[in-house]
Order: sequence, then C-alpha cells, then structure tokens
Amino acid sequence: MRRVLQSMRDGIGFDTMLVILTLSYLLVFAGLPLIYNVVISFQTVDVFSLGTLMHPSAGVENYVDIFEDRQAETVLRNTIIFTLGSVALQFTLGFALALFFHQNFTGATWIRGLFLAGWVMPGLVVGVLWNWLLSGDFGVVNYVLDGLGLIDEPVFWRSNPETSLYSVLIANVWYGTPFNMILLAVGLSQIPEDLYEAAELDGANAFQRFWTITLPMMRATIGAVIALGTIFTLQQFDLFAAITQGGPAGSSTVAQYWSWELSFREFDFGRGAVISVLMIIVVLIVSLIYVRSTKAETQL
Amino acid sequence: MSVVTNRALLLVAIVLAAIYLFPLYWMYLTSIKTQSAIFSVPPQFLPDTPQWGNYATIWELANIPRYMWNSLVIATGVTLITGILGAGCAYVLARYRNWWIDMALFTVLMLQVLPPSLMVTPIFVGFSWAGLLEYPRFAAVLAISAKTLPFFVILCRAAFMTVPRELEEAALVDGNSRAGAFVMIVLPLARNGILIAALIVFMQGFGEYVYSASIIAENRLQPASIGMTNYLQPNQVNWNAIMAYAATYVTPVLAAFVILQRQIVNGLTAGALK
Repeated sequence: MRRVLQSMRDGIGFDTMLVILTLSYLLVFAGLPLIYNVVISFQTVDVFSLGTLMHPSAGVENYVDIFEDRQAETVLRNTIIFTLGSVALQFTLGFALALFFHQNFTGATWIRGLFLAGWVMPGLVVGVLWNWLLSGDFGVVNYVLDGLGLIDEPVFWRSNPETSLYSVLIANVWYGTPFNMILLAVGLSQIPEDLYEAAELDGANAFQRFWTITLPMMRATIGAVIALGTIFTLQQFDLFAAITQGGPAGSSTVAQYWSWELSFREFDFGRGAVISVLMIIVVLIVSLIYVRSTKAETQL
Repeated sequence: MSVVTNRALLLVAIVLAAIYLFPLYWMYLTSIKTQSAIFSVPPQFLPDTPQWGNYATIWELANIPRYMWNSLVIATGVTLITGILGAGCAYVLARYRNWWIDMALFTVLMLQVLPPSLMVTPIFVGFSWAGLLEYPRFAAVLAISAKTLPFFVILCRAAFMTVPRELEEAALVDGNSRAGAFVMIVLPLARNGILIAALIVFMQGFGEYVYSASIIAENRLQPASIGMTNYLQPNQVNWNAIMAYAATYVTPVLAAFVILQRQIVNGLTAGALK
C-alpha cells in the first residue's frame, strides 16, 4: 500500500492516475454512449420504456424504417449539398482571405483577427442574426441584392422550400470561413520565404509560384482544414434550430437534425439512434483522415 | 512595398472586414430601432433616435437575467470539470512519447469530433435510466464536459509542450515530489495557455444549445440559448427585441474576444493543428 501511495506522488503512478481519471470520464460519458447508441438502434425506445436500461428488441426494423422513409432521400441529398457546399465555399473564401492578408501590409494581422469575432459567437446567435438578415420582406440581404440588380423580387429564403437549405448554408459559410482562413494563414506563414525568392529569380510569375510552391507546400494543411471543415459542418445543428428548424416541410432537414428530431420531437429514440450510428461512422472516417494529415504535418 | 500599395491594400482589408462584420452591426443597430423603423423601406443604415428602452423591455419580458444566470452556472460547471480533469491529463500527454500515450492521444482526438446532436440520443436515454434527469442542469454539465474535455486536453497539451523539462527536473532534484513539481513549477509556467483554453471552454459552455435543449425541460433552469428560441418562436416580428436579446447574450463573449484576441486566436489554431 505504501509503495502504491509513494508511486502516486512520485512515480509512474502519478502520471497514470492523471490520465486514467480523464479517460474514465470520457469513457463513461462518450465511450459508453457510443456503444449504447448501437444497442438502442436495435430496440424500440419510446417515452414509456425510457426508464429502463434495456428496451424491447426491434431487430433491424428501425433501420428498415429509416431507409424506407420518404424523407430519407431528401435528407441524404440535403446533407451532401450542405456539407460539400459549406466546405467548398468556406475553404475557397478562407484561402482567398488568407492569401490576401499574407501580403503583410500595415495592420494586416490585426484586421485579420477581427474576422474571428464571427467564429467565437454561439451558433444559435449566429443563426438568429441570419434569420433576420435573410428575412423575405424586410431582410437587408434582399435589399442589397435588389440594389445590385441581382434579383427582381424578394427571395423568401427561409420559407421557400427551394431556398431554405441555402439560407442555412449561407449562415454556415459566414460562420466557418474565418476559421478556415486562420488555419490556412498559419500554413502559409510556415512556407520558407527563400523558396519564393528563388522562384522569382528563375522568372516564375505569381500564378506559377502559387501552383508550384504554395499549393504543394500547403498540402498537409489543406487536407487538415478540409477534414476539419467537414467535421464542423457535420456537427452543425444550432443554425438549423435558429433559422429553418428543418422546414418548411422537411425541405432543409439534414441527417444530424433529423436524428435529433426523431428522438426529441417524435420521441422515437430507436430510429433517432439509427441515423446517429450511421452519421457517427461517417464522422469517424473523416476524423481518421484528419488525424493522419495532422500527423504528417507535425513530422514535417 | 510602396506606400501607395500599402494604403490600397489596407483600404481593401477594411472594406472586407466591414462587409464581414456587417451582421454584427446590423444586430446592434436593429436592437435600438423602433418597431416601425425595423420595417421601413429602404432600411435605415444609421441610428436615428436610439431606443435604449428596448433592452429594459426585453430583459423583463423574456426573463433574460434568469436565463443568463443559468448559462453562467452551466458554463462554470463545464469549465470546472473540464479544467480539473483536463489539465493533468494534458500534462502527461505532453511529457511522454510512447505507444500508450499515442493511443490515449488518438482516443482523445477521435472523441473530440462526435457531433452533440447525434450523441444526445444515447446520452439522454442512458441518463433517464440512471435518474440523472432529476438534476437537469447537472446532467447537461456532465454531457457538455464530455464534449469540451478532449478539446481542452489538446489545447493544454500544446501549452505544456512549451515548459522546459529541465525546470521540472531541477525541482525534483531540490526534493519536490512529482505532484509538488507539477503544482508548483509546471502549472504556473503553463498558466497562460491553460487560462485561455479554459476561457474558450467557458465561452462554449455559455453558448451551448443542443444538450441543454434536449436535457433541461424545466423552464426555470434553462440557459439563455433556449430562452432566445423560446422568445423567437411566438414573436417572429419583434426583431428589435430579438436583436436586443442577442446583443445582450453575445456582448460579453465579444468583449472577451476583443480584449484577448491574439491569445484566443493562438489557442484556437494550436488546438486544430497540433
């Protein structure tokens, strides 16, 4: 006993204890739910059977229900459009801004930092702001677009099933662009200056320098940023809750919102868990790519 | 770079930042407009007879003080659990490099990415079996901490990496125990990084929505994020009141950001790429 106590204060026991404490917490509140999620996806869980650990078995019925649901196709399409669209736009805008602010003019770093103000805000507040900005009759976005001659009549962003998903997508691009920019800026600043000087001496123009130096040198960062952007976009929930609530008529529902809706609006936790299981697998695959690319980065 | 190019680039930068930050300006501006001014066509882009009374009205009408208090309680709870459990673990993960540490680090990284809106289903069902839903705010804090903890560990690990090992070894030679050296030497040296990480965790707890909305059913215990949706649903036209609510909620976060901008930006990027 004394030896154990001694090692807690002085030896490997001290280190082990610190790690075990934290990992146990994560195991109980993240690890077990991950496994339990798979279990309840094969059970019938409603308000009446909530109080017990195990529920009546449902076999694969929940999975069949989800795949045969007429909403499934819309949700799948929405999730893909929302994720690819958000990541592509956030990345492109973020990269453009990072390159612009990389030119080291007076105040560049400070002004660049201002963009992060968007990123530190609670997602729900960002959603409510864009809900107002994109309002159909009195929204300032419609006013500006009309002034620029881009639209002839007001677009009812949130209430038109054709555009509802895009109203959330626009907000998400605004929300995520600064983070993309700042990570890419870190990557840019790690490229040695003399590479550019050498290329310039060899007569390479700006475009050639970008293609032959910037892009190849940024490969690991770009991989990490795109993977992270995908992960954050797949986590996005608050914007949906604040702007469209998946509507109208399910036209802007994505998988992570549908799962929550099934569990907490229809109280069908079994079917909610099915989508949860499937989506978590997707997220974990993307994360593996991310972890691998950051590993490559730290070894550089 | 010539003076002219420098000036031109600066001007473009200011314009870009102004476009980006316009939604924030619009929030504050709308929050002090009259009901009729919100719906004027064309919209008013400059303040005209500011209605500061909007704030007092919405504070009372939407119970903002109570909701903000709950947000504070939740954010404090999350920061305490995350800070106490996370700092020690991050320290060990920064000190050693072997297969076990790599596996622990990998586990932490993978747990960081789980979407709350997907994890809340099994957590809610498990919590209701365990009877934790009797204490909804506490239950929400437990669930949110499992989300912030991995992130905090990654940020703190980066902070501990900057503390030279030799200082700790010197303390051990001087007769300190490992625990003593950790508390007296390593923690104070990594303090700034840890505090910034804790601040980021606090801000996340303060703005949290999914877990609270799913776990806390009782109105009197709900945080400001839910309070805002509660007010938003039936009052979709009172945009000045809604924006006053949003401004009240987000101003403390923005103030912290403005004061500690550089440190927060460094912390966030360190967490993502290390």
